[in-house]
Amino acid sequence: MSIWVKDLRFDYRNFSLHIQNLRFEAAKLTSIVGPNGAGKTTLLKCLCAILPIARDSLFLDRRDIALLSAEERARLIAYVPQEHSSAFNYAVQDFVLMGRAAYVSLFSTPSAADVEIALEALEYVGLRRYAARPYFELSSGERRLVLIARALAQKSDILILDEPTSFLDPKHETELMDLARRLAVEKKKTVLVTLHNLDMAVKYSDVIVFMKKGGVVAGGSPDDILTEPLLESVYEIKMNILRHDGRKFIVK
Amino acid sequence: MTKKQRALGLLIVLFPFVAFFVSLSIGVVHIPLDGVLKSLLSPIFPSLKQGLPENYLGIVLGVRLPRLLLALLAGAGLSVSGASLQALSKNPLVNEYILGISSGAAFGASLSIVIFRQSFPPQISAFVFAVAAVMIVLLISRNSDSPIVSLLLTGIIVSAFFSALLSLVEFFASPYALQGLFYWLMGNLGWPGWGALSISLPLTAVGTAGLILMRWRMNVLSMSDEEARSLGVNIRREKLMVIFLATLVTAAVTSVAGIIGWVGLIVPHLVRMMVGVDNRRVVPLSAAMGAGYLILADDLARGLASSFEIPVGIFTSLIGIPFFILLLRKSKRIWL
Repeated sequence: MSIWVKDLRFDYRNFSLHIQNLRFEAAKLTSIVGPNGAGKTTLLKCLCAILPIARDSLFLDRRDIALLSAEERARLIAYVPQEHSSAFNYAVQDFVLMGRAAYVSLFSTPSAADVEIALEALEYVGLRRYAARPYFELSSGERRLVLIARALAQKSDILILDEPTSFLDPKHETELMDLARRLAVEKKKTVLVTLHNLDMAVKYSDVIVFMKKGGVVAGGSPDDILTEPLLESVYEIKMNILRHDGRKFIVK
Repeated sequence: MTKKQRALGLLIVLFPFVAFFVSLSIGVVHIPLDGVLKSLLSPIFPSLKQGLPENYLGIVLGVRLPRLLLALLAGAGLSVSGASLQALSKNPLVNEYILGISSGAAFGASLSIVIFRQSFPPQISAFVFAVAAVMIVLLISRNSDSPIVSLLLTGIIVSAFFSALLSLVEFFASPYALQGLFYWLMGNLGWPGWGALSISLPLTAVGTAGLILMRWRMNVLSMSDEEARSLGVNIRREKLMVIFLATLVTAAVTSVAGIIGWVGLIVPHLVRMMVGVDNRRVVPLSAAMGAGYLILADDLARGLASSFEIPVGIFTSLIGIPFFILLLRKSKRIWL
């Protein structure tokens, strides 16, 4: 399932997002990069309708996101927040099970099949053994994986991750991006990630979208679009691109 | 769920049944347990009536049974409302009292009783003002940077406002009405008459059942609003639903039994300490625990003095709060 952003506008008091035309292709991992305040998270939250959006600005294939019900949307788009905080310390399995909310009616409880789907999702991120552990006993890297498992339990075609690697050590960062990559390749999901680590974006993305001041500056495969002048205009500092083993590395 | 949690859960389920049965024998007239059993079964097996003292049937079926039914439903309802409101506001410190629901309901009911002489049903009046109170609290605290603090603070303020309105009603009440009002407000399960019960009991039962059916949804609603929305929850609709049901229950109970404080806060916490935080267990087990708890508290209210009754609301607070402090201090790990 592909996403089409068409003339999307969103205004805060001192910031406005405006994207004229942008497509996210199915079964690809797209990274959205850019300086703080560029509007990356705002774009993601518009896509998940966490922020109110106008009609005729966001489409999934041909369907207008603004016209979908909450359940319909959650079956198509899953959102992985940066972090989760709660007064209640649910067991990991119960936490992942909440990903089934769009499939369970208001006055009922999840079926055995729903529980199975939750456990499979945990298995996929490699944390099945933690099913009975309380969520807040896990390390921050493991918590991110549990959040992803909850999103997987939504069985959506589109997966949106908001800065999934922030505050993670290099090992967990790599594992997490490997997982995001597998979701696009193996599960054919449309994966959208916001990132600050440009090397990670170059290494893992099919497409990189550069944003600045509420708009899109450039978008395309890392090989095609990554140039020193582009980086300098987006981040306003001097950056050099080095090549090694056929890959590009960015040195500040 | 561990084995220990399963065993404790079973105990909680049995608690109200045991409490209910034993409490039928307690009171000014002591009735042995076999007498209780025979009296209870006599409508089905008339032969059991033989050999029973004459007054047993009247006391067990006519006096104690309706009162215990009221205690059972009120305890279950208040506890389930408390558990639900805690999940909904993502705040384990919340209960129907703190959100202003109790004060609103108490004002509404007393307005109807004192000023309109019950020509307007106190249940409806209680419900209207309870809804008004909780809506004011939620609207004021909605867009705050520190939702927990602002929710508690506005709750306290709105409660105080409706308590002041209640004082105004008390001021204008006749001395006779005032005495009744005062006693009722302290929370008691004395006989309110079938007329009032025939409205309050069904409303309490329906509200409680609705909340119990939504038990898993409470887990999802206890996530942040952004998360819940991305998981596919129509937050506005579902929150209003829970608030509506919890307010219905609180208003129905308050209009016949006054303010029975702290049940809605203490019972769900006790349950969480015993079986964990999953609302699929917490909500229904709170119903069982709350029912048993209020029945026992009412035993004290009825049984401590032989010539008069002490309002049960005093006991729910007097037992509940120290017990809660004890548990708070004893439990080393945090159960939330």
